[in-house]
Amino acid sequence: MTRGVQLGRVMFSALGVGALAYGAWLTWEIGSSQWLALGKWLAGGVIAHDLMFAPIVVVLGVIGSRLLPSFARAPVAVVVVVWGTLTVVAIPFLGRFGATASNPTLLDRPYRLSWFIGTAVVAAAVVVASFLRRRREQ
Amino acid sequence: MSSRLRPPREADFSSPLRDDRVTARVGLWLGIAFLVAFLTGVFSHYGQDTPGWFTYPTGPVSLYRITQGIHVLAGTAAVPLLLVKLWSVYPKLFARLPWPPSRAGLVNGLERASVAVLVSSAIFQLVTGLQNMTHWYPWGFSFRSGHYAVAWVAIGSILVHVAVKLPIIRDALVLPIDAATPMPVAERDINARVADPALSRRALLRTTWAAAGLAVLATAGQSVSWLRDVSIFGVRSGDGPQGVPVNRSSVEAGVTKTALDPGWRLTLVNGSVKRQLTRAELEAMPQHTRSLPIACVEGWSAGATWTGVLMADLAALVDAPADSELFISSLDLNGTFGTSTLPPQFTANSNTLLALKVNGETLDIEHGYPCRVIAPARPGVLQTKWVTSLEVVA
Repeated sequence: MTRGVQLGRVMFSALGVGALAYGAWLTWEIGSSQWLALGKWLAGGVIAHDLMFAPIVVVLGVIGSRLLPSFARAPVAVVVVVWGTLTVVAIPFLGRFGATASNPTLLDRPYRLSWFIGTAVVAAAVVVASFLRRRREQ
Repeated sequence: MSSRLRPPREADFSSPLRDDRVTARVGLWLGIAFLVAFLTGVFSHYGQDTPGWFTYPTGPVSLYRITQGIHVLAGTAAVPLLLVKLWSVYPKLFARLPWPPSRAGLVNGLERASVAVLVSSAIFQLVTGLQNMTHWYPWGFSFRSGHYAVAWVAIGSILVHVAVKLPIIRDALVLPIDAATPMPVAERDINARVADPALSRRALLRTTWAAAGLAVLATAGQSVSWLRDVSIFGVRSGDGPQGVPVNRSSVEAGVTKTALDPGWRLTLVNGSVKRQLTRAELEAMPQHTRSLPIACVEGWSAGATWTGVLMADLAALVDAPADSELFISSLDLNGTFGTSTLPPQFTANSNTLLALKVNGETLDIEHGYPCRVIAPARPGVLQTKWVTSLEVVA
């Protein structure tokens, strides 16, 4: 390990431990009445990712690598990363969970229509890209 | 591979895309996104809950519009970065815990615990931030306190994680991304089947950057007006009464009757000096017009032209100096939105108005009729609507 890396380690860990301690103190200050709710969402996120989202992605990956023809794999992988993550970002929009009747200026775009059009566009792009790659392979 | 179904082991994950070089590069940008969101977030928090040593700036007028727009976009860009980063290290979740207990095992256990804190706080920040952007409040805690406290936990655990991994990160960043030799992975089973990946490492990185860029483009329209038509997932189209969107409606605030009551008066208080003004009397005072954005903690913003009375002129009516701190009360009786404090530098600032009009028309009730605060560079939650009294803080 070079001295630079060692110095960096000391600096980063000192700053990090300080920030962690301050964060813990702030959490303490929020008060016990909110700890349970906070804890649920803190644990819920990591459980939802590690035990639901990630296994689904892994299983889809295995299925994809066995079933998809070689020329379609790259286009599908690109679309899963781009459109899949964008769909995760879009969940609160697609569900319009925060919409209120008294405020029509909030969540006022056609999100589901946009998402369906987007999905159709990327699906078409996968087909076209796969077709082009297949021609190149032959 | 045995045919019996069993939980996966670390060595079962054979994709050469799950490589330190991918993890380090995506992690670098994820760290930058979190750092930017952290710094702009702390600034926003201090704007709303100002510590004694910090004087919140009164300009440039678009300051909060820019910092909070960046805050929300950095968080949005972090969603694909975090998901790909976690994907690249997912096998580590199945690595065996060292047994029997030993010193090395303790270090390993501590490191894993710190990673658990990192992952849970990072996901918490992105999820609650996205929910707040879209006014979705399914939790039983205060968003501002929770998001702020966990921000420190997240940035702290990121820094510790970087410290722990620094030698690996450095080596991984130095090694060319498409070099053929895979890095030695000590615990990976050499005999395991090495999958033929769908993408090269370089292509995976480019795809990840594209996903982050597209997530930003898809949501940026709420803060960057010329992207409005591009942003299919913008929280607001930018439409609204008098061309300005609304964050809290008169119905939510419960002011639909009180705001339109002809008996409404603005009460000014400075110790024992007290004055009451009708809206007509406010209109008779010298009027000033300012172009100021309204920018909310949710990341959306909109520019507008406001006309009204200088806050300093109102302070003068009750013999208070221009640099008085004012306690502002609204007809909205909810504590969070119902009151705000205007620091001295804002009362004295010639851009701070008690607005009576927006874009040339009498304020719509949704924009705070009979009158509202509009100050430069401040978070929208402090631009109190439906104002009923201004008190000089002694």
